[in-house]
Amino acid sequence: MYYSMKTVLIIVAAFILPVVAIAQDITGLQIIQNVYNLASGEDQEANLTMSLINSRGDIRKREIKQYIKDYNDMEKKIMFFLSPADVLNTSFMNWSYDKAGKDDDQWIYLPALKRVKRISSDSKSDYFMGSDFTYDDLGDRHPSEDKHRLLREESIDNTLCYVVESTPKQDDMYSKTISWVIKDQWIAKKKEFYDEDGDLLKTLTVKKIEKIKNYHIITSSEMHNHQKNHKTKMELRDVKLDTGIDDNQFTERMMRRGL
Amino acid sequence: MKRLLTITLMSLCTLSAVAQVDHNGFVRSYLGALTGQNGDYAVSQNTLDWRLSYGKSEVRLFANPIFQYDALKSEVDLSLRQAYLDIYFADFDLRVGKQQIIWGKADGVFITDIISPRDLSEFLMPDFEEIRIGVNAFKLNYYLDNSTLEAVWIPIFQPTIQAEVNSIWAPQMPAYPFAVNLDESAMKVEDRLSNSEIALKYSALGSVIDYELMAAYLWDDNPAMHIFMQMDNSLLLKPEYHRLPMAGASFGKPVGGAVIRGEAAYYLGKMFSSEDLSSNGIKEKDYLHYLFGYDHNWFGVNTSVQLIQEFILDYEDKIRNDELSSTLTFLASKEFLRDTLRLELLTYYGINNSDALLRPKIMYDLADGFEILLGANVFLGDEGNLGQYSQNDMLYLKLRYDF
Repeated sequence: MYYSMKTVLIIVAAFILPVVAIAQDITGLQIIQNVYNLASGEDQEANLTMSLINSRGDIRKREIKQYIKDYNDMEKKIMFFLSPADVLNTSFMNWSYDKAGKDDDQWIYLPALKRVKRISSDSKSDYFMGSDFTYDDLGDRHPSEDKHRLLREESIDNTLCYVVESTPKQDDMYSKTISWVIKDQWIAKKKEFYDEDGDLLKTLTVKKIEKIKNYHIITSSEMHNHQKNHKTKMELRDVKLDTGIDDNQFTERMMRRGL
Repeated sequence: MKRLLTITLMSLCTLSAVAQVDHNGFVRSYLGALTGQNGDYAVSQNTLDWRLSYGKSEVRLFANPIFQYDALKSEVDLSLRQAYLDIYFADFDLRVGKQQIIWGKADGVFITDIISPRDLSEFLMPDFEEIRIGVNAFKLNYYLDNSTLEAVWIPIFQPTIQAEVNSIWAPQMPAYPFAVNLDESAMKVEDRLSNSEIALKYSALGSVIDYELMAAYLWDDNPAMHIFMQMDNSLLLKPEYHRLPMAGASFGKPVGGAVIRGEAAYYLGKMFSSEDLSSNGIKEKDYLHYLFGYDHNWFGVNTSVQLIQEFILDYEDKIRNDELSSTLTFLASKEFLRDTLRLELLTYYGINNSDALLRPKIMYDLADGFEILLGANVFLGDEGNLGQYSQNDMLYLKLRYDF
């Protein structure tokens, strides 16, 4: 059976046009939800290095071993601090929940006190270990906490991205963020953070994305605080995914025992 | 002594070099001057605190030797804060040896945290890690998900170390109307199985609440002062340790971004000092010690407030302690300059005697792991647990390098 060129074009158009229409109709919220829901494995084990670089170029390093496990409605993370020496054997555990509005549960083990202590989750806007990342920046912010607006589509580094503006529904340390989300990959390649006065505060730039076990994982990124002229490079090494980390890894026992 | 130190140091260095021993620790120089006493130095110490760990995933040896040079006494001291063996099984761990055992949710206060005795030779001035004395114990922890059952057996009683009589930290003694003689013959608790201490704790950690339930059959770490009237109208003071059974509980719970904490211990038959010589200056009473705490981050400042109360049941007027003693603590801390500068204020306020201790500190990281600390201890009031040290206001400087 032969089809005329016109018929072929109509059939092809019938399949393609709805896709284009969907692509054009996608909302800012859908894009951010796709980022939030991006599969990154059931569990992850990795070595995390943060390099804090001041305006003079001086570098201070923080090294952490982290384990993360995704449960259906929550994520558990445990971090063991390896350096500098004065934080060695300190551990931090965070349980975050998918349910909108539910605060994270956080505990810290300080070897000098030999006690696992529950800490206030109200310190999300505090900077993590003196870096340019706040605790909130490091976690997965639930899409329902912000209003999202698709601004435009544009290419950065020859990669086509959606540009989405997110404005918090309640008072927050950022007045808004703007994310450049890679089309079809749902990874924010770049993100700008604006302070309470609406001035640009920080820019997060993804430097390297690796495909590990069919998941796209950000293994190198940099947060630049423009107002302080300070940067933090974050690198993930020895990333292992879906190794079946035992539930017992995320317990008080392991916080005390360490690595 | 120097020879022993040299041999010990060389042995440890050799061991850490030959075997694959993980080690870390710190060196610290600590200088403190009493501001109310012509700036006399009260502390001048140089300390090496070394933590050595050796083993595999199932078994681990840990030792924490402390080398300390006291420049005021020109003395070198070698001690072992902890030295134990950890054996890890699938569902339980066993720790055997000299170890610090920490219980409870209170900060800077000892309510259910009474398994490890304290070294009070410098009152509460040292870091809490240095105040707690390691006890020789067998500790078994059995784990089920996020709950733990802990059983402790301490075969040999270890009392709290009190400040020496001529120390600036010696507590005020009651004023006796007669001459006093001291008889320490009953102070020793014999080393025998029946004099063991045992303790049991169940703890759970969860999203809704963290809690602990505990019971212990211990010795009171402080001796009771029995008083006997002598034929020559003098008094004979006979300090003696007594058993002190205890049951307690604690919890920590998140509430709207803050954390509330509580802790209580009920002691059965604690010996209190009394002015009643017909009962040899001792009254045995049940005693309740409890705390409520609230931790919150206000505009980047971590704050913690605690109300601590001690209540003697079936109280009698001649008991030297108040029936109800109340203390407030307040802690505020904030980091600046990317966590390299930290300001902290810790305050204890004794409500009964209107006495207080203020402990402001400034800590600055000269480099990663290299910290300079400038602090002060300010005592307010004339009497009470804190006011009695009103002559001991101190400014101090610590330089610490962690490796």
